[in-house]
Amino acid sequence: MLDAAPAYRFVQERLGVDLKTADAATELSSLGVDSLSMLELVFEIEEKFGVKVDEDTPPPKRCGELVALIEQLAAAKP
Amino acid sequence: MTARRVAVTGVGMVSPLGATAPAAFDALLAARSGIGLYAPADAPKPVSVPAGVCAEFDAAAVFGRAKAGTLDRYSQLGIAAGLEAWRDAGLAPEAATDRETWGVAWGTGVGGAQVFERGYRDLYVAGRERLPPLTVVQAMNNACASHLAIQLGLGGSCTTYSVACASAAISIGEAFRRVRSGAAPVMLAGGSEAPLAYGVIRAWLALQVLAPGDAASAARACRPFQLGRAGLVLAEGGGALVLEDWARAEQRGARIYAELAGYGESCDHGNLVRPSSEGQARALRAALADAAMTPQDFDYVSAHATGTREGDSIEVAALTAVFGARAAGLAVSATKSAHGHALGAAGALAAAFTVLGLHHGVVPPTLGEAADLDPECAGVAHVTGAPRRGAALRAALTNAFAFGGSNAVLAFRARAAPD
Repeated sequence: MLDAAPAYRFVQERLGVDLKTADAATELSSLGVDSLSMLELVFEIEEKFGVKVDEDTPPPKRCGELVALIEQLAAAKP
Repeated sequence: MTARRVAVTGVGMVSPLGATAPAAFDALLAARSGIGLYAPADAPKPVSVPAGVCAEFDAAAVFGRAKAGTLDRYSQLGIAAGLEAWRDAGLAPEAATDRETWGVAWGTGVGGAQVFERGYRDLYVAGRERLPPLTVVQAMNNACASHLAIQLGLGGSCTTYSVACASAAISIGEAFRRVRSGAAPVMLAGGSEAPLAYGVIRAWLALQVLAPGDAASAARACRPFQLGRAGLVLAEGGGALVLEDWARAEQRGARIYAELAGYGESCDHGNLVRPSSEGQARALRAALADAAMTPQDFDYVSAHATGTREGDSIEVAALTAVFGARAAGLAVSATKSAHGHALGAAGALAAAFTVLGLHHGVVPPTLGEAADLDPECAGVAHVTGAPRRGAALRAALTNAFAFGGSNAVLAFRARAAPD
């Protein structure tokens, strides 16, 4: 399972976005995060934290959706 | 019918001499070296070589961290240089509707080598089974060109030339042909390279052509035309020109730096690594013929000279063969002495420095001391140690000679003084 705090730090390091202070409604694209960078980010989170994002999960488009994804992975059973 | 003329209206550069073209040009004229001792941080066995690193380039600041993370370094350097040239030309950054025939021609030797290396490390060293999903589109040699076309909305041809150290000169030459023929009114052309990966450095060391150096001597490790020169210095960088139909450029009131007047190519067809002055002379003559110019018309040659013992004197032999009586008065310099050899980007850096030199009426120098010039490289008017100002600078050639024997020469003419 994933520990949320380092995951948030990792996202900030990779994307330059602080999800703790970001508005949930803010579109990731407005922060320079396009679909390709999101694809790469999800892969990196999977590799770094040893988790698997369900293939049916739609890629996050807003900050709130990325937070929800991380919280969901954190809550998942190992 | 009058042939179309091709104007250079924009210049961009990211190099070991600075993160922009003006910064690099100023550093070159001040005879500053951008070369230092480089040791890749993640090397499994320590290695250090003199190298030209683009230390002032901050990819995260240019692209944002998210976007920067989706690009190999060769694309980062190239896109930054391409966009600088575009802005410099006064062209709108946003895609417009009239760009369906505009294009981009790019050059690179090893392309996404750093992404390849990261992938192999993940697979073979870390034992991973999965690679990052963007590995293919980051590593491909046409990634940089496509990013530029996408960002600027260029709907015409989008091509990448991989011809070792002649890559960018050939991309500029081919773009020139497209503008001159009328196929494209505007082309963005140049090249980029990021070869400072552990495996690439090891491969070049194995070829035994790299100049040695330590922390104290690295800045002067690349010594073209000079006694005691001991090899080339690897460098990373990107360079770009905006080439534009002359009439179109005049009509929109663009600043015209210079005219790209001719382009010549040849192949040595002899040896993969040992250059041939006969082959080089064919490319030089082809460029002159293409420009309908004679040796008497030229005042400067930006040499390919990389600082190898054999290569530099062979290039001078080619110049004296083609220029004859004019050679003794022909200014020659090798800017690689200041920034190293950026391989597939080298032709674009040479072209950018030459265009700026023609615009400002100044010949950039070879770093070093005139007293150290090798008699084997005599026969031309070397500009060494300090720039040459105040003398006529009507037209110039840039040479790019590749391993494999591919040679490319570009002929630039200064914009005539306004009457």
